[in-house]
Amino acid sequence: MRKVLTIARKEFSSCFHSWLGVLMAAFFFLASGVFFVVLVLGYSKISMNPQQYGLSNFSGINQTQYILGSFFFNLSIMLLFLAPILTMRSFAEEKRQETLELLFTYPLSDFEIVAGKQLGILLFFAALLLPLSGYLAVFRSLGGEFEWAPVLLGFLGFWLLGSAYLAAGVFISSLTKSPIVSALGTFSVLLVFWIFDWVNDIATGRWARIFSELSPLAHYKNFTLGILDVQDVVFFGFFFFYFLFLTLRSIETRNWKS
Amino acid sequence: MNNPEPSSLLRFENVSKKYGAFHALRDVSFDIKAGEIVGFLGPNGAGKTTAMRILAGFFPPTSGRVFVRGIDMFQHPHEAKRAIGYLPETVSLYPDMKVIEYLRFVAKLKGVPSYALHAHVRSRMSFCGLLDSGHRLIGRLSKGYRQRVGLAQALVADPQILVLDEPTTGLDPTQIKEIRELIRALGQNRAVILSTHILPEVSMLCDRVMMINQGQILASGTVPELASCLKDREAIHIRILDKKDQELALKILSSIPEVEVLKTEEEVRGETFISFETSPELDLRPRIMKLFVEQGISLAEIQRQQLTLEDIFLGLLKNGQFEGQVS
Repeated sequence: MRKVLTIARKEFSSCFHSWLGVLMAAFFFLASGVFFVVLVLGYSKISMNPQQYGLSNFSGINQTQYILGSFFFNLSIMLLFLAPILTMRSFAEEKRQETLELLFTYPLSDFEIVAGKQLGILLFFAALLLPLSGYLAVFRSLGGEFEWAPVLLGFLGFWLLGSAYLAAGVFISSLTKSPIVSALGTFSVLLVFWIFDWVNDIATGRWARIFSELSPLAHYKNFTLGILDVQDVVFFGFFFFYFLFLTLRSIETRNWKS
Repeated sequence: MNNPEPSSLLRFENVSKKYGAFHALRDVSFDIKAGEIVGFLGPNGAGKTTAMRILAGFFPPTSGRVFVRGIDMFQHPHEAKRAIGYLPETVSLYPDMKVIEYLRFVAKLKGVPSYALHAHVRSRMSFCGLLDSGHRLIGRLSKGYRQRVGLAQALVADPQILVLDEPTTGLDPTQIKEIRELIRALGQNRAVILSTHILPEVSMLCDRVMMINQGQILASGTVPELASCLKDREAIHIRILDKKDQELALKILSSIPEVEVLKTEEEVRGETFISFETSPELDLRPRIMKLFVEQGISLAEIQRQQLTLEDIFLGLLKNGQFEGQVS
């Protein structure tokens, strides 16, 4: 366990040591701030004059739901860009610089290496989410009102969705020597999963069911609506560990490839 | 476990490694004891790096077994790898880490207990002359210093076996000398395996030499042992001024039965060099001179030389085996 934590710590701090990591953190913080402000302003505009927006009765709109539900849903779009960039260095960069070779000769199991890297990235991602609570604090201090339970659920859902995407990104990073290829590959794969959600809207019957079960977004939506369903948690857990397993298999290929 | 020789630190048993259809190593077996410095010698692509990577536990062989202090390396990789320090061919370290930070990271991964960590890392740094560079970023270090960091990370956790893949390539002469001195000091109570394609380095450093080509061990023995096999061999070098005479000269030489390993070397400004090996007891020079003069060959120089390690090596490469069979 000490070794897993050692690698996780190194991975975590190397995210902060690189310009890219700092830039991503700053970008994520600012962009999510813009989303939040726009949503708050939008909500206040509607609440001034609901009739103009075709709403006869304003009480039908839930403030938490309107602002934070949409906020979390918008964050998931950013994840399409964030996950490929956060994970592209994890294995690809080490392969490119050939630093992985030494790591494999230390008394470590492949699992310890993969788990350590994954953990480091998840912690970095969690650290990116922390400042978002600042928006909520400001919102509250300005007189906004929301319920805690759905907000916490939204954070949990977003972190689970992120973890799943990051696991996919780490796997793709382990397939290549080029961080750019890794980022593009991860982006494409996440885009395909994204499209599952559209297909889900168009398709009917059995197909709709299949795509909605496979779509990470469909599972994530429940969290943004404030619904906690064990099925959704299981889905993300399965997604995450499946890619973790694939990553392990992928780095084992050094045993038979040159 | 089933290691018959407790004195051997490291043992290769019929190790083969294939990359797809390509045989990088074929049925290699050897033993290495504590206090030995063993040199792997071979041209590029001979299988040295593959052998070293297997030694270091980077990947398992396709067939055969590797024992480290009697422990099967790929059944109990954790215990076995703890006894090994590895310096790869290209010393690739994290460029964005500080030297001390990196060595602490390695020490934790190698299982150095927390209470001993600081002193341990400092002692490795002082051994490799890195005490003043602890807070520099690895990416900003010169090649020589990076090599030292590489050596320091190999020495973390006191491995009994050191595997050094071409430790002196890319260094300037002073740095080469320093690294060689470090290796010699390390070899006193450990087993050191180093690979190189620099022949003099082997005679300078190693107690034992293994010559590798095309994945096979061609010869193995101490430097004096290999040299003793050469006492009855010598090389004769001939320089001919006119390139047109080369064919005729070769014809004459190949008709002499004592001439072996006949070869022409590179041409410089129309001059051709021919060399061959023969027994030193009969001096062929007067006979060759007479024959060449009779045929009107423009002989410029004829010279006898003791065979060097390089000659044995080249001879081995050519014949695939050594006549004086050392093993």
